[in-house]
Amino acid sequence: MDRFLKWGGILLGVAAIGFFIFDFLFFQNLRPRMVAFEPVTAVDESKIIWTGVGFLIYLGCCAISLLRIANFLRRAKRVIFIFLVSILAGAIAILFVFSDIALLSDIGKQHSYGLSQPEWFLLYPIMVFQFFVATFFVFLNLFGFNPENLLETVVFDSNIFITAQYVGLLCGFLGLSAAALGYIFPFSWNPNIHTIMTLVLIPLPYCLATAYWIMTKLKDRTQGFFDEKQQLDVGRSAFWTLVLDVIIMSVLFILNFNNLRGVTSINWLPIFLFSSLFLFSLGNLYFGQQNV
Amino acid sequence: MELGNNIRKYRFENGELSQQDLANAVGVTRLTIHSIETGKFNPSTFVALKIARFFKVQFEDLFYLIYEGNDNGKNG
Repeated sequence: MDRFLKWGGILLGVAAIGFFIFDFLFFQNLRPRMVAFEPVTAVDESKIIWTGVGFLIYLGCCAISLLRIANFLRRAKRVIFIFLVSILAGAIAILFVFSDIALLSDIGKQHSYGLSQPEWFLLYPIMVFQFFVATFFVFLNLFGFNPENLLETVVFDSNIFITAQYVGLLCGFLGLSAAALGYIFPFSWNPNIHTIMTLVLIPLPYCLATAYWIMTKLKDRTQGFFDEKQQLDVGRSAFWTLVLDVIIMSVLFILNFNNLRGVTSINWLPIFLFSSLFLFSLGNLYFGQQNV
Repeated sequence: MELGNNIRKYRFENGELSQQDLANAVGVTRLTIHSIETGKFNPSTFVALKIARFFKVQFEDLFYLIYEGNDNGKNG
């Protein structure tokens, strides 16, 4: 099974790199014409479809690589730093696929309305980042999984739980940053669309990591989801999350008392959810690892 | 007053048993064994007895009370 995943990840990664090179060449040709408001040809439109196919292949490469990392971490002697960085980079790269699609859609609309398309300058760095992640995943799949770092048996593992908390920390931070945009750019932030998109997309990596952890627990049939120290840590973390959330939400309410019908009317929910996620994950990591 | 233990000593006497192997035998995570061994976490009676049974020793041989400024336990 691991060999199948290994070669699947490598092949999809190489294909994704190929598609990114194709995209860079294609956009290099397309961008000057769109900026000059020249019409988009039928050939361009068919190439855009291949760009979409490339994104799907890229998602497959990331998903397989992340699954391999998760499988490896379950029996790893400890949470390996390079894998942690890979998981965070992979999660961000997957989220960026959705922003690629949104940016390309915006560029198309701006072009058809005869408006400038500053989104190009956001699209390029994102795709360069994704290109590097794909290249990194190909090398990781080839050379990154050293069996010497594995333990023979782990009855009750904690690595996946710890990794899920790191992902939660990142998702919470990204979600809070996105929610803050509603206050910083109130005119360009559409509260209904952007807030809902943020709420749906940003927690996705955390949900996947947690779902994987739950699946491993159900499969292992260990006594309960937590051992007794984890239970204590999670309890302490939940307590501090509650206390700090009450303070944060009270401060938000007081600061926006004269404008509660404004952006706060919808933004309070993402702030509450993402601050809970951020604080809870941070607490689990702090209480879980402070003794080690 | 704190809870002291001789887990490290018994691990050594059992062929330098690893924390992971002890964790597997008792059904907890390696981090929990580490925290118990270093005195940062007091285990439940259930887990403490499971560790004692694993090493085939009496509970009091494995765990002891440390009074302030006075080690009153059996630390081997």
